Amino acid sequence: MKAIKILFLLAIAVISGSSVIIFSGVVDVAADKPHGKFVYWLLQETRENSIAKASENIIVPDLSDFELLLTGGVDYEFMCAGCHLAPGLKQSDMSLGLYPAPTNLSLTYEKQVKQGENNEAAQARNFWIIKHGVKASGMPAWGKTHDDQRIWAMVAFLDRLPTLTPEQYQILTAID
Amino acid sequence: MQYIQATIYLMLTSCFMMTSVQAHDPSEHVKTNEAPKCESMKAMDHSKMDANDPIMMAMMKKCKAQAEKKAMQMDHSNMEMDHSNMEMDHSNMEMDHSNMEMDHSNMDHSSMEGMSKSAAGGHHKHN
Repeated sequence: MKAIKILFLLAIAVISGSSVIIFSGVVDVAADKPHGKFVYWLLQETRENSIAKASENIIVPDLSDFELLLTGGVDYEFMCAGCHLAPGLKQSDMSLGLYPAPTNLSLTYEKQVKQGENNEAAQARNFWIIKHGVKASGMPAWGKTHDDQRIWAMVAFLDRLPTLTPEQYQILTAID
Repeated sequence: MQYIQATIYLMLTSCFMMTSVQAHDPSEHVKTNEAPKCESMKAMDHSKMDANDPIMMAMMKKCKAQAEKKAMQMDHSNMEMDHSNMEMDHSNMEMDHSNMEMDHSNMDHSSMEGMSKSAAGGHHKHN
């Protein structure tokens, strides 16, 4: 009986504390003020584990067709490069302003792929993120306006993006 | 003296602030369609290129398409056409007279058989 009483008081305290935090406005939501380490870790782990679980059953198609690089490249340039940058581009307004900062997808692949994740899992992960987006991160759900084939083309392009020179990138992503 | 120093510091600070604002040109936001710069392929190290590499194949396809497009865009400014020897076949031409009107008021009916000017009236509509 005493334990139930303690649990009840604890629950009341948690609810009261949460209410104060939520309704007092003390939480700073400004994107130019980073989270504390603990909050950042909490949000990142939640996000990464959620994406890993959601994308684990996605079957990755054959992405070796070079035509995919052409359609995926153009889409990347117009939909993604503003935030996720391109070879030769170190920063943009979006990459500087967004929080959490968007991943620089033009960097070496090893830096993008989570440790221990194989290439196919990374491709499935990229597909899921492009299609569904990520809440409160600035990443849109492109699946609302783009079919799966087009998204896979972007995934294929992302695979090769870190290996491209600025000149190769320009040719592949330009529209004549 | 202190007043002059303070003024100089203030001016310098203002200059730095203005520079930081000007550094961000609005034109940087403008994104325009850009044709592929295929001429940069010539400068690439071909010894390191693999013709079967998907990147290489994709670039080749894009640049080939661009070259074909350029070839199609011919310069018409210096082209001339000689119309003097052109002929037109009028034998199959037809004209619709149903809506045409004719003014008979000034016609000389004296030489016409069976028609007087008054009977001919003013305007006739040919149907």
